[in-house]
Amino acid sequence: MSRTKVLMLGWEFPPVLTGGLGTACYGLVKALSKYADIQLIVPQANRNHLIENVKIKGLNYYGISGEDAVEVPEIPLEEYAKVHNVPAEFSNPYPVGIGFAKEAAALVAPEAIRALYSTNEPYGPNIMQKVATYAEVVSRMALEMDFDVIHAHDWITYPAAVKIKEMTGKPLVVHVHSLETDRVGEKAKGEWNKVFEVEYKGMLKADRVIPVSRYTQECAMEHYGIEESKFFPVHNAIDPAETFRIPNKSGEKLVLFLGRVTFQKGPEFMVETAWKLLQVYPNVMFFVAGVGDMMEDLKLKVLERRIDHKFVFAGFLSKTNVKRILAQADVYFMPSVSEPFGLSALEAAQFDVPCVISRQSGVAEVLPNALNADFWDTEKFANYIYGLLNYEGIREDMINKTKKDIEQLSWDDSARDVMEVYQSLGV
Amino acid sequence: MAAICFYFQVHQPYRLKNFSFVKIGKDHFYEATAQNVEILNRVSDRCYLPANNLFLKLIKENEGKFKISYSISGTCLEQLHRHRPDVIASFRKLYETNCVEFLSETYYHSLAALYSLPEFERQVKLHEKAMNNILGVKTKVFRNTELMYQNGLADILDEMGYKMVLAEGSKKYLGKESSNQIFLAKNQKTKILPRNYILSDDIAFRFSDPAWSEFPLMAETFANWLHKIDDSTGSINMFMDYETFGEHRKTETGIFEFMRHLPAQILKDPNFHFATPSDLLKIKKPNAPLYDSPAWSSWADEDKDASAWTEDNMQKDALRKVYALERPLKALNKPDLIDVWGKLLTSDHFYYMSTRYRSDPTHQSFTPYNSPYDAYLNYMNVLSDFGGLLGI
Repeated sequence: MSRTKVLMLGWEFPPVLTGGLGTACYGLVKALSKYADIQLIVPQANRNHLIENVKIKGLNYYGISGEDAVEVPEIPLEEYAKVHNVPAEFSNPYPVGIGFAKEAAALVAPEAIRALYSTNEPYGPNIMQKVATYAEVVSRMALEMDFDVIHAHDWITYPAAVKIKEMTGKPLVVHVHSLETDRVGEKAKGEWNKVFEVEYKGMLKADRVIPVSRYTQECAMEHYGIEESKFFPVHNAIDPAETFRIPNKSGEKLVLFLGRVTFQKGPEFMVETAWKLLQVYPNVMFFVAGVGDMMEDLKLKVLERRIDHKFVFAGFLSKTNVKRILAQADVYFMPSVSEPFGLSALEAAQFDVPCVISRQSGVAEVLPNALNADFWDTEKFANYIYGLLNYEGIREDMINKTKKDIEQLSWDDSARDVMEVYQSLGV
Repeated sequence: MAAICFYFQVHQPYRLKNFSFVKIGKDHFYEATAQNVEILNRVSDRCYLPANNLFLKLIKENEGKFKISYSISGTCLEQLHRHRPDVIASFRKLYETNCVEFLSETYYHSLAALYSLPEFERQVKLHEKAMNNILGVKTKVFRNTELMYQNGLADILDEMGYKMVLAEGSKKYLGKESSNQIFLAKNQKTKILPRNYILSDDIAFRFSDPAWSEFPLMAETFANWLHKIDDSTGSINMFMDYETFGEHRKTETGIFEFMRHLPAQILKDPNFHFATPSDLLKIKKPNAPLYDSPAWSSWADEDKDASAWTEDNMQKDALRKVYALERPLKALNKPDLIDVWGKLLTSDHFYYMSTRYRSDPTHQSFTPYNSPYDAYLNYMNVLSDFGGLLGI
């Protein structure tokens, strides 16, 4: 039997990373390349981040010749997307509030396309133009490519994927790393939010949907009404890594919040938890690593509660600095309102940091030895953090068991699961 | 004449209420009263009462030839006395038949034998007293919490006047000897009655397992198995939780029907008779084999040891901390506080903290917590508050 040929559509890919999407996509593609022939198209490719046996095409090289060349297809560009522009003051790296006045038209000129995808910002205020252009360019590229199945990662690639399916009749697998309902909650269903619609259409037209957790499957079924038979959840994994510990000499315990400071990540529940904990146990510092549109709001809430002296806002940290802070943290805290997976909890666990995480998260499904509570149950979160910082018996048991849980996870297993999904489509 | 010895363990702990860290220093009542009463009522109605009634009937029908024995923990006895006097009355009726023996144990169903000898002796005496006061029973034979035993325990029990103790009949401790006989402890004095764990677990666990090759098990079949055991002087000892009847194995599984027919089926063979541990104590048999358990054995899990209560760091930490309170507490001489502490020594609290057996269905069916971590943290919050009361 010949190997399955996969047309993989991605958005974030190393080194362009804002969340788990790029990391997960990279891990999966790399493992999957053992079993399938993959051609991956991303907005921005980087020659330092190649994968053996995987053809990666970046639209940032569109229309130029040479080894990174992305051929200009024969078919002329035409308008595809009827989506709208985003206001310029947009500050969430993952777009919300899509669509005010103008419709986004796909760009045509190769140099304009290259320029569109050569910035450091994978989203930004012109995200809908990027999505529309991606759909146009990629769907026409696909007509000249040979593949058995389309596999698209998150909504930004769904318009392209749906179009390719309609043009070629090839089966479509959409991979759900996160949903607009995770990112903005009920607001996702507002009439002005076009992302919800794109996601709905993508999942509706797909032959199979791969959510990154059973939790995400439940969200997709509840909020989007997608039928259960389409779903094949495949958990993310993590590659083994060299980890280390740095002794914390400050005398204060360190609770780490690592992630975008946005509605989705539940920063307000962190403040409530901290406040409840600090009433009883003041010897602790909350370290916030990340930026986002709720940063000012978070700082204000911390001030209002008069616990600002117990918070450090470190902003966006480099990979090296993330590792350094993980190596010192006593507790990893993820109070997300809705977390499709939560790869950073796996990273924390790898660094032997006990995790206190939201029950509304996919990662809780693979970390049975983390402590979890409903995101609004701040007393329970505080109780867990209090226990971890005060009682010596629990830390080692949690760490040892979690190590075993993580050893169970491998991208290879995830890749095999994805292969099963392909096989279920007869390809 | 081979003897059949049934012993049933009757136990309910005082489960702890949800005790968040904000309650430390503010709330000094720890019990989940509503939950405890609810479970007590449920188990009384599903198990204790119907099973007591059945066994009383069987004793009468068989004109004294059917005999059984029980051990009731102090924490359970106390709760029944307070909330279910009807169950206490039915146990009294059973005792009056002279076909039922009640055994001795630690009052709080604790692991005191492993951690504090003075506390162990205190609890055994407390239990003796409660059995006498509430049921009018004088106990003669001892069974330790979860059948935990090690060689040294026989010496202590001997000093306390006990001539026989129940233990697990795993090969680990019996060597090549059959479990269907009375053993001698290493002190050459105390008699050991080992559990036939295969036949016991056939009833207690496998009975309702449709995947078991013998499912569904009939009383006649089971009696035939016993009759085939070729040991005319032996004793086949089947020990299990009383809650097996109607609680762990629901009525619908046919467990009551099975027991209803079992005595008559067993007595069909005149070479078999029922006995209580005290009856067996009267048997004089020279050259009894030695029961050797240098480390703690128990009737639990595959390993038949104490690991389900003591092996995790959380369990070690909690046990160390709660037993560390013994000296300062006893120096205060406040009986109320000693009783609160005693309830915190109940083995169930530590069993709930076991990560090792977390996915084991038997373990899962007992714990009121979502995870062993929740069990540990709740216990430690309670203990922090209790320590505060003692000024520690």
